[in-house]
Amino acid sequence: MTVKIWNFFPREALYECYQCARCTGSCPALEVAPALGPRETILKCLNLGHDQVVEDEKLWVCCTCNVCEDRCPQKIPISDLLVALRNSAARRGNIPDKLKIAIELLAKTGRSMIVHQLDEMRAHHGLAPLLPVPIDEVREIFKKTRLDEVVEF
Amino acid sequence: MKYALYLGCAIPIKYPGFEAATRKVCERLGIELVDLPFACCPPPTSLKMVHYDSWLALAALNLCRAEEAGLNMMTLCSGCVNTLKEANHTLKKSDSKRRKVNRILEDQKHHFKGTIEVTHILDVLYQDSVIEKLIKEKVQDLPIRIGCHYGCHYFRPPKIMYPEELSESESYVPVKMDHLLSIIGMEPTEYSRKFLCCGSPLGANTDKDAGYAIVKEKLRYIQERNIEALSVICPSCFEQFDMGQIALSRKFKNLAKIPTFYLTQLVGLSLGMSPKEVGVDVHRVKSKKLLEGIGIS
Repeated sequence: MTVKIWNFFPREALYECYQCARCTGSCPALEVAPALGPRETILKCLNLGHDQVVEDEKLWVCCTCNVCEDRCPQKIPISDLLVALRNSAARRGNIPDKLKIAIELLAKTGRSMIVHQLDEMRAHHGLAPLLPVPIDEVREIFKKTRLDEVVEF
Repeated sequence: MKYALYLGCAIPIKYPGFEAATRKVCERLGIELVDLPFACCPPPTSLKMVHYDSWLALAALNLCRAEEAGLNMMTLCSGCVNTLKEANHTLKKSDSKRRKVNRILEDQKHHFKGTIEVTHILDVLYQDSVIEKLIKEKVQDLPIRIGCHYGCHYFRPPKIMYPEELSESESYVPVKMDHLLSIIGMEPTEYSRKFLCCGSPLGANTDKDAGYAIVKEKLRYIQERNIEALSVICPSCFEQFDMGQIALSRKFKNLAKIPTFYLTQLVGLSLGMSPKEVGVDVHRVKSKKLLEGIGIS
């Protein structure tokens, strides 16, 4: 099932982009890895349509640091665009394995970290055991939001 | 002064030393913390990217639990504060999103009302009354050249994170950690590209080595200014610098390492707590020599 990303992001905002590349010039991910970069992402959305963009694995190479949006002279909400594109990509099965595993863990345990010998470690620092996560509520929420349509758990 | 303590996942599970230091510091400075059974925030770097609706609904659950206790939330992590502040802002502002989330939460007897605020430990410590108490309680200056790293999610996007403190150009340059550390006798030192990301989300989601390449870049700028240690306010940034330097030193044999501290560990040391009490003894990059140099052991 595809989701229209324009429900999450105002398409007209893309037309504000004059391709100055200040975003891409500020992108830390692009300095060290083959990222798509915000400028190119916007250009491709305009020229090729977002369908092409969400199939590209490079869409995920990102620090989520928000610098691109921070420095955009046109105040385009780039972060919202990237969230919408990646949500759509994940739904079509374009999602990094590492991220998929992280979401599975979160959905199963209600936490983002694996708990191992936790009580001993906390006792070493003089701390009481951690309060339990309201896991039934977490599961119920994810059932209703249909997270399993995107990541199986 | 009373807050619901939102611990998140990484700090209580991976770095309980930060939690221990925070609890002790808050107790000394008259900040009361209440523990509630929260779930994962969830991270702006993972679930939000994959399934926005699930991200918003789970964040709303955490916000509701604090609302029901009638307490503002204090977070210890840049990621948690980003999620919870943005979700709080969005749900207060958007009737349609609030209605949608409340329909999801109604069976669990929760209802988002929008009655509380979310804040970060740095902003809590930065309040006038807390600083006055800190100056009174402080027993030791820490004369170390320190570099501050704030973590991107702590202050971006500024219009959501610090809407009251924007400059005329609607930007926000964080300074609170630098100011706070100068109060405990440290020497906060500027360095190039101070607000460059630590690379943690890049490493976690896609490529670990690419994430560490950013650490290496940052370290170069930090060491250029003869900075002796780093101060952070986020467990992910901490791991990136602490573990990252160990990983990098396997590859680059001559890499000079500098220790990283979590903010409340430094405040704790200035209040006379021992390195073990604030949990710095378990860090991978050791700070023993540096601390002994200023008379702390």
